[in-house]
Amino acid sequence: MDVLQVELAKLRRDANLTQSIQDVDRIIEQLEAARESIVADPNSASIILAKLQNPLKSGFDKVNDDLKKIHKGHSNYGKALDKNFPVKALPNEYDALASHPSLINRAIAMHLIREGQFSVASTFLNEAQGHPPHPAPTPGTPHPSESDEGDFSPQKSQELQAKFENMYQILQELKGRNLHPAIEWARINRDELEKRGSDLEFELSKLQFVWLFQGPQVNGLPDDMNNGLPGALKYAREHFGSFQNRFLRDIQQLATAMAYRPNLPDSPYYRIFNIQSAWDDVSASFTREFCSLLGLSAESPLYIAATAGAIALPTLLKLASIVKEKRTEWTTQDELPVEIALPRSMIYHPIFVCPVSKEQTTEANPPMMMPCGHVVAKESLNRLSKGGRFKCPYCPNESQPKDARRIVL
Amino acid sequence: MADHITSKLNPDSHLLLDQPLLRLPFELLRKNFKVAHFNVEKESAAVKSTLRDTANASLNSRASPDDVLKNVDSMIARMRGLKRKLNACSEEETRLQEQSQSRVRHLGELYGIQSLDDVKYERWSRTRLDRLLVDYLLRYGYKESATALATEKNIRDLVDVDTFVHMSRIRESLQNGRVTEALTWCNENKKELRRMESNLEFMLRFQQYIELIRTQDHSKLLEAIAHAKKYLLPFRDTYPKEVQQACGLLAIPPSTREATYAELYSPSRWTTLANLFMQTHNNLLALPPVPLLHIALSAGLSSLKTPSCHSSHASSSSISPTSSSSITTSVCPICSIELNDLARNVPYAHHTKSHVESDLVLLPNGCVYGRQRLEEHSRKAGLSDHLLKDLRSGEIFLADDVKKVYIS
Repeated sequence: MDVLQVELAKLRRDANLTQSIQDVDRIIEQLEAARESIVADPNSASIILAKLQNPLKSGFDKVNDDLKKIHKGHSNYGKALDKNFPVKALPNEYDALASHPSLINRAIAMHLIREGQFSVASTFLNEAQGHPPHPAPTPGTPHPSESDEGDFSPQKSQELQAKFENMYQILQELKGRNLHPAIEWARINRDELEKRGSDLEFELSKLQFVWLFQGPQVNGLPDDMNNGLPGALKYAREHFGSFQNRFLRDIQQLATAMAYRPNLPDSPYYRIFNIQSAWDDVSASFTREFCSLLGLSAESPLYIAATAGAIALPTLLKLASIVKEKRTEWTTQDELPVEIALPRSMIYHPIFVCPVSKEQTTEANPPMMMPCGHVVAKESLNRLSKGGRFKCPYCPNESQPKDARRIVL
Repeated sequence: MADHITSKLNPDSHLLLDQPLLRLPFELLRKNFKVAHFNVEKESAAVKSTLRDTANASLNSRASPDDVLKNVDSMIARMRGLKRKLNACSEEETRLQEQSQSRVRHLGELYGIQSLDDVKYERWSRTRLDRLLVDYLLRYGYKESATALATEKNIRDLVDVDTFVHMSRIRESLQNGRVTEALTWCNENKKELRRMESNLEFMLRFQQYIELIRTQDHSKLLEAIAHAKKYLLPFRDTYPKEVQQACGLLAIPPSTREATYAELYSPSRWTTLANLFMQTHNNLLALPPVPLLHIALSAGLSSLKTPSCHSSHASSSSISPTSSSSITTSVCPICSIELNDLARNVPYAHHTKSHVESDLVLLPNGCVYGRQRLEEHSRKAGLSDHLLKDLRSGEIFLADDVKKVYIS
């Protein structure tokens, strides 16, 4: 890119029309001067015009020369572009998504809403409603979008928007160090959060306790009975009761820490009270829980998928070129033929690859654990045992296929 | 074997979706230059010959001083017109060059990022998603949304709203049965189209001819014949089949049931023409034929999809093997409502190694979890040390009943 930067600077400096415009200006001046002389002395018109011919011609030559320079500049830049940013063909023979534009539209609308771009989202919904997309049939799906329930009705979108507006409001409050709306939300959704094994409500309450505990110098709240040590104690009495079963140890720690108040930094509890990152952490886990309760992932799926796509493309292109070169076919339609390297954060499900068949387990071919604790895919198990007693491929243990049990990862 | 977890970023191969970003302004720059060049050629020839003629006439005293002055005035007017046009071109040129400048800068930012886990990469990638979205919206003709998004995200310089708006206008006019705009466009890009051996103009002319015949009006039929002589017959070597059909069409009324001719009269030809125009347009400007978002998404969906994403038992609560920082789960993007249906038709990712949590244990109900996560979850649920709670179903088991699982 640096080379292109330089080339572009050169292009901007050398190859522009300003020079040519100046040349044209000069010609206009010559013509105007000639006109004035003719007006002053009509009889000499023929001489003046005859004299004008050569300068005018050279004037135009100059214009053309300058244009040639631009042309040269363009071709230089074009060469630099070809060299430093060569054209690579994109895969285009099969577009699996062309037949589902309404689903894509829905995904985009939801993306815009969840990113908090409500005005763009409503513009988009209006426009998409006015011009519904025309799905294009593809080989895989001859009758596109008949079954797609992609219709994202205005009512549904408004509901979703209201929810996300609520979320952004709470996040905004969290940024302003106000935990109450978030705690309130967590309390309302306590049952569902608990079912997910989330301790969000307690984390928030704990932070509130610590926040009050640190007193007015840190939190800037009014210095009264509801702040500082007494405030924290009062808060704990009122709210920690319901957490006693689940978080007794944490509450004990918090309570004991009060004794260390004068020299907290040297106490064993300092870690709990160091809340530098705690605010960002609760914001992140709040967002995650909020989205999860809606059945949505915390990060925009559209963002993750597009990023993963950009990471995967080079590999897929290489694959396409190999397939073309070797004239082979890609036999497993439901699985990609190459492995794509993604960052660790983009793995969401546990993946089990059978060590015998090297295939991923699916619902039809689930992982099976033998009594020795080793796991293979069901098909492999059947092939290994042929119905009778067999040895585990990993250890000396022998077992019957009926002793193996299906596991859920 | 390549490692399947990576965070390395290779900018050169990473910039695949971004090719039109620099190509398009360059193509437009060249086109703009051609317009300027054409105007200079035209005006210079005209002015030079006017001057020569006037000088000769004046020398032979055929022209009165008034005529001479009038000619000089017309030359000045021509030159001023030329200057105006050049100024317009120059403004466009500056705009395009500045646009290229910000795009090169935007792409250059990627070269300063080492890792895919970098926060800077996330920001860059978000901008890329916004670009892809705008590109998608524009291609489907949602120009207001596209403009709104580009403005809100402040990426006007990185997207090509004007080009696509112009394109959709022509496409819409074709869909409404008007060829004028498309023909004008063909005229503007005559040379390139000829070099590409595009059949767009011929097909447009052919459609005009069909429309004339469709009226079955006598004078219109005569006009159709003249039209065919002028625009279709010269191409009888290049498009013999179409020209022959055109001739035959004269004898066939629109009510025909004969398939070949009924097809010519069919209104669906307008959609075909609109698509042909889009194809030619994108080809000419080196734009990919399908929205970039489609390309990115189908690659992305495949590489993220796992067999569990569309499995029947509650997959949304599946536990990520890598997010060790949190006990609770984050919904997988493919399982999330937005993309789930969309991902149904794409293949799932290929893996050669298992990705599971370390130290797995099996609960009596068949579910497998990492021991640490299971214990922490149970502790938070307020259970005593010898009890464990299933993360998904909530069943409670004795800690002694779990079995260790070995995943090779």
